[in-house]
Amino acid sequence: METLNSSDLIRDDEIFLRMNLAERIQHILLIVTFTTLIVTGLPLIFYEMKIFKSLMSFQRAFYIRGILHRIAAVVLIINIVWHFLYTILTKRGRNNFKEMIPKFKDVRDAWDLFWHNVGLTRLLHKKGILKKFFEKHPYWLFEKAPEFGRYNFIEKFEYLAVAWGSFVMIISGFFMWNVELSLRLFPLWVHDIFVIVHGYEAMLAFLAVIIWHMYNVHLNPEVFPMSKIWLNGKITGHELKTLHPLEYKKILEERQRILESESL
Amino acid sequence: MMQRLFFFALSLSLLTAPAAALTVSQASNDDCLTCHSDSSLKSGAGKPLFVDQDKFKASVHGQAEIACVDCHSDLKKVKDFPHAEKLQPVNCAACHEKDAAQVKASIHGQPQEGRSPATATCRDCHGTHEIRSKDDPESLIFPINLPATCESCHLERVTTKRGRGFIEMYNQSAHYRALEKAGLTLSANCANCHGGHSIRSVDDPRSLVSRKNIIRTCGLCHVGIQKGYLEGVHGKDYVKGSRDVPVCTDCHSEHNIQSPEDLSSPVYATKVAGVCSRCHDDERLARQYGFLTSRLKTFSSSYHGTASKFGETRVANCASCHGFHDIRVSTDPKSLINPDNLAKTCGKCHAGAGKNFAKGKIHVVSEKAENKWAYFAKIFYIVVIAVLISVFLIFIAADLYRRLRIRWKR
Repeated sequence: METLNSSDLIRDDEIFLRMNLAERIQHILLIVTFTTLIVTGLPLIFYEMKIFKSLMSFQRAFYIRGILHRIAAVVLIINIVWHFLYTILTKRGRNNFKEMIPKFKDVRDAWDLFWHNVGLTRLLHKKGILKKFFEKHPYWLFEKAPEFGRYNFIEKFEYLAVAWGSFVMIISGFFMWNVELSLRLFPLWVHDIFVIVHGYEAMLAFLAVIIWHMYNVHLNPEVFPMSKIWLNGKITGHELKTLHPLEYKKILEERQRILESESL
Repeated sequence: MMQRLFFFALSLSLLTAPAAALTVSQASNDDCLTCHSDSSLKSGAGKPLFVDQDKFKASVHGQAEIACVDCHSDLKKVKDFPHAEKLQPVNCAACHEKDAAQVKASIHGQPQEGRSPATATCRDCHGTHEIRSKDDPESLIFPINLPATCESCHLERVTTKRGRGFIEMYNQSAHYRALEKAGLTLSANCANCHGGHSIRSVDDPRSLVSRKNIIRTCGLCHVGIQKGYLEGVHGKDYVKGSRDVPVCTDCHSEHNIQSPEDLSSPVYATKVAGVCSRCHDDERLARQYGFLTSRLKTFSSSYHGTASKFGETRVANCASCHGFHDIRVSTDPKSLINPDNLAKTCGKCHAGAGKNFAKGKIHVVSEKAENKWAYFAKIFYIVVIAVLISVFLIFIAADLYRRLRIRWKR
């Protein structure tokens, strides 16, 4: 515990690289392709909406929409392949992936954070309700917020959602792109499922990004108006300590060990 | 000069001689022209009385050497010229008895209700002294000239039940363009569809454009299409006298008929669905004839329909799969959408389409009944989306709540 207080080993203004250049480019490519795919795909779901009708009133608009959608899809696939190779072939990539694997702790973190935020049990305790129970089981007071490692449950969930979503969208989209091939392999009703799944998965991804990701990296008062990590990749020692304390501790222990081995 | 002398001699010898032989006292054309060749000659009311003798001589009556007094027959007995100003109108029926009777029975022969109870007379369509044979390109009723002749009344002066502008729409039609631009005299002009002397109101069953006759009338030129239509599901009920099935004009419009490739045609690729669904989404007709509704809705939600809605013409519309004139029910072995023919029909666009195209439904009204796995996928996603979004929002609310509490405490 005393080690945590020693800020000599990690200064508050020390800069750590949370996203390197390759990761940032991958993220930007994901933003661009995702946005393009959503914008060019939504008219197919909300074909009744006047806004799409007026946006796509020019000649061959629908055809161009389709071409853009496919180009974005191909770029996204290339991006995913790049990310895949990066994850396997680089040490940093492998380490990131290890950190990204969901554990039972993540479920518990989500649960703990929620009840910590709500603070209902602390209120009950204050009012003297279930006093004995809380004295016996102080866990249920959720006094402390859970501590996160390099990736918290929110980030892990988002990453897995992108992975799952991309998988579903690429498979279903591939068969929609190649209708003739799809119908050589599957009956029409299976192809219809591809179409339905592609649309609903798109809606899910769109809503998840708009609500969940936008809150966590933009509207969240902690980072409002925007976390700049995706642009410069930098995170300070102080931010690391508050947002990712387990990673902070890990780095600290690492440095202590080096220090000790040097002093020996 | 020689020519004029020749004509003079001709008219003297040919026109006056037989006339003189019959009734010595009858005025010759020359007698008439003594005055009427003066181009400035006008009646007391200022009406020009000039007769262009060149035009008359070139006319069908001039060629047949019919004399002025043969038509202006009340002058036959007049000996003192100049004659009285007011003459009897020329009675064409004296020679053209049958034609005149037809006109008399037609809409042009009957005074119409409305502001101007006028009837059209022979001269309104055929002209007067300069009348040519109907096959003469100069004739007012020659195919290329006929629209302008009819429109001389029907553009402005005379409005029909369908209102002003309805007849003018013909001038935008493919039929008129062929006539006017290419001089294609086979293209439909007014008389081809409406008839000539026997022209009648569309409400009159005897009219060529009445519901009863329109198929035959269009079929005069579009023979193959008429045959296909009569073999199709619409035609079969039409023959039985059904008033619900569409006839040519219901889909193609009337005066403003365009090629289906023309953007303004109601059967343009992206507009066909709207035309078909006028009846095929009608609950009453569906009940009566036992067909399924929601055709437009289910088409629109498909890729074909959505693309079509956004103006894409290279996707399937109703006609691409169902055919157009000889549409048949799916149980008919000749139907394009008979399960046995689907591979071929879909294969028109989707090269190599096989039997799998028939294993499923196109117009899916209810996934629950028609594709239960698709229904399951849909429900799954709806539940997942609803749950996830709720969880997100609850989490965000809890997070904001704590942050605001911390801020208040400070």
